[in-house]
Amino acid sequence: MGTASGIIKALNSGIKHIAIKRFTLRYPEEKLKFVGDGYQFDPVSGVGVAGLKGRHILFHDKCTGCQLCSIACEGIAEAISMVKVNEKWKQNKKSIMPQIDYGKCVFCGLCVDACPFYALYMTNDYELSSFSKEGLIYTPAQLQVKPNIEQDAEIKIDDRGATHG
Amino acid sequence: MSELPPGIKLEKEDDKIMTLNVGPQHPGSGHMRIIVKIDGDYIVSCDPDPGYVHRGEEKMAEYRNYITNIPHLERPVIHDSCNILYPYCLGVEEILGLEVPERAKYIRVIASELNRCVYTLYWLAIYGIFLGHSTMFMWPTGDRELLIDLLEKLSGARVTHAYFIPGGVRNDMPANFEDVCIRQINYFEKRIKQYDSIFYSNPILKSRTIKTGVLAQQDAISLGATGSVLRASGVDFDVRKKEPYDVYDNLDFQSNTLKSGDSYARSKIPWLDMLESCRIIRNALEKIPKSGSVRVKLKPNPKAGNVETYKRVESGRGSLGMYIISNGKPEPYRVKISVGSFRNLICLPYLLKGEKLGNMPAVYWSLNYWPVEADR
Repeated sequence: MGTASGIIKALNSGIKHIAIKRFTLRYPEEKLKFVGDGYQFDPVSGVGVAGLKGRHILFHDKCTGCQLCSIACEGIAEAISMVKVNEKWKQNKKSIMPQIDYGKCVFCGLCVDACPFYALYMTNDYELSSFSKEGLIYTPAQLQVKPNIEQDAEIKIDDRGATHG
Repeated sequence: MSELPPGIKLEKEDDKIMTLNVGPQHPGSGHMRIIVKIDGDYIVSCDPDPGYVHRGEEKMAEYRNYITNIPHLERPVIHDSCNILYPYCLGVEEILGLEVPERAKYIRVIASELNRCVYTLYWLAIYGIFLGHSTMFMWPTGDRELLIDLLEKLSGARVTHAYFIPGGVRNDMPANFEDVCIRQINYFEKRIKQYDSIFYSNPILKSRTIKTGVLAQQDAISLGATGSVLRASGVDFDVRKKEPYDVYDNLDFQSNTLKSGDSYARSKIPWLDMLESCRIIRNALEKIPKSGSVRVKLKPNPKAGNVETYKRVESGRGSLGMYIISNGKPEPYRVKISVGSFRNLICLPYLLKGEKLGNMPAVYWSLNYWPVEADR
């Protein structure tokens, strides 16, 4: 008796699911929407701003070439190296800026926490795949580019279940 | 340890006994090897052989300072990363003398409870698929997305959050996180209640797990089991209750125990814990201070004196402790990680003796064992 009622209970629970909406996110047609413009850090208050830890963005007009991001990454992934740039900035006497190897980066965001000049943030861009290892190395010029991506899918919940609408 | 059927006698180790290596790359065991000796269909003895994915996390921790240790110390259990960083942060806060803001303590509790559910769902999915219940693989994997979405809003990463830091958390909760969290937790609770009808009252699951791999209460204590394995054997031990850390003593919850100590009880305790986690999260969101700092400002290279500390928390797999020794340098002198997975593995040879080989996944995965964490 217990066996029969158990099977009926399980089947009943399964049949109810026919009416439930599909929860699967149909990537890449749909892309998840994230909070804010990516992870940022305010060195004055010492607290971060919530956001996705995706690809970095480097503000050339603020970077001083102090290497703190590179030092922060030393014990973690060693993904950041300082390279020479052909630009002249008043605050950057040595003309060096970070270059990030996304083959090594673990996206922990501790380099953003280390930057005292609001020069290095993270963005919502996470599609970084490349056919070669060299393609994963982002130069300061590439890091400067603001990502242009459309993300609008969010989890919606109603009586018929949750869905990525 | 269960009784053999009448007429079947376990023989001594001789030519009739076959040695079978399960793993270390076999999906039935995760990244570890179980050397099983079988007589026909019955297991005579079993020798778990962990260490295949040893990564030297403890040694690595001696070469990095207290902050840069964060991203690699969460690697042993990436889907329970908040809970493995929790004892480390508590310990470092003690030796550095940091006072964590009240709001950060509540955020930590919320994040670690969400993460415990994420881990448990992942484990439940594996448990389901190894018992041949593919629906139980699909449902938890889908529902896990609800919680991963919340953690991603909170910390900015889906799996390896690196969210806890000595002195608080990395960032404050985003705007209207509370509402989204309550909405998704309520729906999640409704969803996991359905697991009872499709999985836990399923007669096929019951026949495979009830009375297999029974761990008696006294054995559980003497073998040093922890977490869900200990509580399934009727010992009421939950670190959150017995040694409350952060704000767990302010929150309203209970620790679940079952008496039978078999695979079924061990698989049900984490599910009951998930329902309890939903209560804790809702309770914490009510009591959380509405504003305030979430992080103490740290010096770039913090140093501690000649001190040592041991802190433990309740992770998805039992009590997880970290013993940190400082000798005045920016790097810790020693970080010893004591994980629940390894302690529960010791029970395996006792549980599998005399069981059928086909019941091995039911017993092995019910131990809530995670090979990568045990090897560290």
